[in-house]
Amino acid sequence: MSVPRGAVHAKWIVGKVIGTKMQKTAKVRVTRLVLDPYLLKFFNKRKTYFAHDPLQQCVVGDIVLLKALPERRSKHVKHELAEIVFKVGKVIDPITGKPCAGTRFLENLSDAENLTEADTTYLSEKLQELKVCSTDK
Amino acid sequence: MPMKGRFPVRRTLQYLSQGDVVFKSSVKVMTVNYNTAGELSEGARKFVFFNIPQIQYKNPWVQIMLFRNMTPSPFLRFYLDNGEQVLVDVEDKTNKEIMEHVKKILGKSKEMLENEERERKKLSHPATFGPKNYHLRECMCEIEGQVPCPAFVPLPKEMRGKYKDAMKSEA
Repeated sequence: MSVPRGAVHAKWIVGKVIGTKMQKTAKVRVTRLVLDPYLLKFFNKRKTYFAHDPLQQCVVGDIVLLKALPERRSKHVKHELAEIVFKVGKVIDPITGKPCAGTRFLENLSDAENLTEADTTYLSEKLQELKVCSTDK
Repeated sequence: MPMKGRFPVRRTLQYLSQGDVVFKSSVKVMTVNYNTAGELSEGARKFVFFNIPQIQYKNPWVQIMLFRNMTPSPFLRFYLDNGEQVLVDVEDKTNKEIMEHVKKILGKSKEMLENEERERKKLSHPATFGPKNYHLRECMCEIEGQVPCPAFVPLPKEMRGKYKDAMKSEA
């Protein structure tokens, strides 16, 4: 019987990085939806996995895709980092390919273009108030 | 006394088993990115609220992750066993359309499901008796028209071993 991947049941997992204090290893929290037998409602159940990250490119808060290693690397490390899905602070929308944050795109955030007429008049008024006039006493 | 919650129908076994999306064995992870506000995400929100429990019930070994308000556009992403990723844009789609689409691209077809049902039925024989987990009936006394269980209705004298032995010793 061939065992191409997996001394582990989970071949591919997606999780959030919660710790990078270990050298070349990332601590990843994976949540799965588990059905409560009485309430018949799904709740998130957490499990932590350790993943091998040779280039130490993970930061706490990244969403990563882990791939199961063919055999265990050490007592706890059975997965390796396959891909960083969402980098914290630098999320890229996969449909448009543009950087975004929350529900806004970050691409066109240069002041000059996005100011409307009302904005410019308001700002110029404020600047007038700030001007130091020669007081005629 | 009604059930608690907004749509408690979602928490019934009948509703959960009504989901007809059974993923192919190569699908390992499903990720849903949606927004909590905005018209474009409305279908995705309904999908998460109504249909995700059905999908997870039918596919207990697929990891489902939900991400809220990370990107402006809602989408679904599937990670398959061979490393492939399937991106499904769900902007401006109703939750029914999303279900149909997902069923079409990554769900097992009806013939496959029927085949599996038939295979499973072949393994168990309906005419055998035994523990409830593996057989339909435990004892002959459960069937109508057969001798009832002596635990509830005492056997007639002629069937009891005590009487038969007494008759033999007499004769």
